[in-house]
Amino acid sequence: MPQNSTISKLLSTTPQLWQGHRANHAQRTLPTGHVRLDARLPGGGWPLGAITELICAKPGLGEFSLLFPTLTNISKQGQWIIMIDPPWIPYPASLHGHGLLLEQLLLVRTHQEKESLWACEQALSGGRSGAVLAWPERISFTRLRRLQLAAENSGKVAFLFRPENALDAASPAALRLQLEAGGQRGTRINVLKCRGSRPVEPAWIPRPYAQAHTRPIPNPQAPGALTQPVAGTIQLPASTAIN
Amino acid sequence: MLPLQKSTSTPCWLGIRLPHLALDLLTRGQARNGLPIAVSESIKRRELIIDCNPAALSVGVKAGMPATAALGLVDTLQVVERDTGAEQRALQRLAAWCYQYSNQVSIPADRNGLFLEAGASERLFGRPQTLGNRLGRELGQLGYHAMTGSAATPEAAWLAAYEGLHICSAGHIRQQIGPLPLGRLQLDAAQQLALERMGFRQVRDLLRLPRKALTRRFGPTVADYLDRVLGIQADPRALYQPPETFASRMDLPAEITTSQALLFPLKRLVEELCGVLRGGDTAAQSLQIVLGHEDHEDTLLELGLQSPTQAQARLMTVLRERLERLRLPRPVREIRLEAPQLLQFSAGQHSLFMDTTAEQQQGIEQLVERLQARLGREAVTGITGVEDHRPEYSWRPRTLDEQADCTALAHRPSWLLPKPKRCTIEDYEILAGPERIESGWWDGRDCRRDYFIVRDTHGSTLWAFHEYKPRRGWYLHGIFA
Repeated sequence: MPQNSTISKLLSTTPQLWQGHRANHAQRTLPTGHVRLDARLPGGGWPLGAITELICAKPGLGEFSLLFPTLTNISKQGQWIIMIDPPWIPYPASLHGHGLLLEQLLLVRTHQEKESLWACEQALSGGRSGAVLAWPERISFTRLRRLQLAAENSGKVAFLFRPENALDAASPAALRLQLEAGGQRGTRINVLKCRGSRPVEPAWIPRPYAQAHTRPIPNPQAPGALTQPVAGTIQLPASTAIN
Repeated sequence: MLPLQKSTSTPCWLGIRLPHLALDLLTRGQARNGLPIAVSESIKRRELIIDCNPAALSVGVKAGMPATAALGLVDTLQVVERDTGAEQRALQRLAAWCYQYSNQVSIPADRNGLFLEAGASERLFGRPQTLGNRLGRELGQLGYHAMTGSAATPEAAWLAAYEGLHICSAGHIRQQIGPLPLGRLQLDAAQQLALERMGFRQVRDLLRLPRKALTRRFGPTVADYLDRVLGIQADPRALYQPPETFASRMDLPAEITTSQALLFPLKRLVEELCGVLRGGDTAAQSLQIVLGHEDHEDTLLELGLQSPTQAQARLMTVLRERLERLRLPRPVREIRLEAPQLLQFSAGQHSLFMDTTAEQQQGIEQLVERLQARLGREAVTGITGVEDHRPEYSWRPRTLDEQADCTALAHRPSWLLPKPKRCTIEDYEILAGPERIESGWWDGRDCRRDYFIVRDTHGSTLWAFHEYKPRRGWYLHGIFA
């Protein structure tokens, strides 16, 4: 069947457009809080009742701060954010500083891969709203599928932070994003897979300090010099340091 | 004038007979009727079988035969001596369980069974017959064989229970119990024998006798009893009061070796507990389960919930998780289940479409219970800030009922490394800083640091500090993820 190239191009690049015979255009979503990212995603946000994978070669590329608007909203609505085995300690002062209500945060520590996935499944299957975050090192397709099924029975938004080797493996997740350091433009987000439309062009999310210039390394031998803030230093609240 | 509306319904008593109570207490922990089990009692210094399960019946064991003869029939037969104390405790528990259907429950002193007034709760639970059938079914699920019958007086209800009769208007008692054999009456053995010798066979033969003649032959006891049956004489009963705690115990003559097999008897115990909770309008927040072994210290399971409940499913989910992790040191011979404190119950309201905060709370509580049952209490926590300038001391785990309290520092990283990690600063590009943190001189963990926001060659934004005290050097301490 000859296809009108303009229409097919539009269909493949515009998540808001879908063909009538496709069933999953009714995907419920939650806005990401980033206009540019929402525009790239089918339904205009994080899929609810489905797994979202955030693939990141290294931590510290803005993969978590990307979620701040969503998580803050969730916590303010009295819904719960459940973190299963985060590899580091969430810094309460920082999370609170971004508006997240700590009362709505639940941490689960299992120290075992199998238990971790079990806890994740439990967290996903109960309740109708909220967020579940997990950092599985290795996870099989079948396990992922179980998580996806558990998520489908709830109305939660689920984020799995995954290492770079996850790129090659197939995944039943509804949405897969790859995050890369994008230099001055911030964080580059590649949409690897999104249910309901074909992968679209990357989105760019600005990062703080993306434009900072390299500074000379401060000389630890001269501590006095360090207390003089260098140009471009962040504004600190007066109460943070006592002398 | 309009006739006054009847405010109280006519009383109607349900008699609940538990003819196999002694045996039920031994077999209700068994999922299947596998092992032959019999109950014995010493009667006139002879150990006689008084009841046995189908497995024992099928090999020829019968009530009334000496225990030694029964053991001769099949060597796997377990003969357990009757424990009237356990039966009394079971009746107390079942009375508490029945309290969910009526606030007038009575335990007769001289027989295994219960009386329950069903007239007042007719609008809630249906006619006495409906309630009777329901009780029979539900007690069956708890592992008890129950027979029910109803009548306007407790004693007549007891007689009706033999036949599953439901006689509700008082006028019919005489007619309905007339055809019953004389042996059904609650008379002592000597009276029973005397009546039989006189040629009485059915209850109606006795009811025809004038009261005077009866009193002359047997004293007033028989005549008074018949008057109570017929409702001519009042029969006030001491009413049962629901308890403040719950404790039950189950013996397992066929010992249980796997923790999964414990589910069946535990389910029955929990079901019984939940009936008692509904009866007393109470709820339990913690349960203690003691598994008794032979020649070994007991295994103690403590279940804690986030909020009081009377829901069986919720208790069983938590219990299932605990059992999955349980290693039995020895086979289990008995189970004891206790709810040390029964709390006031307030049912939460469920909404159909809205996910209310109360529902969220319920959902998270039940999730925390499930997770804690399997992973341990300390594995599931919240987090809160601590007033300390050193980031590594500025947080601690929080229990969920505790308030979170924290200063807001949005410019700090979202993640802290569990321990500062030594690094070479030359590998990083400094983006911002320094932020001086100096503190801890008062508790010996004195420190002075300058924090910088840095970026590595992969583009990761990290938090590093240069420490002057106690040790000089560069460390990584956080991730701006």
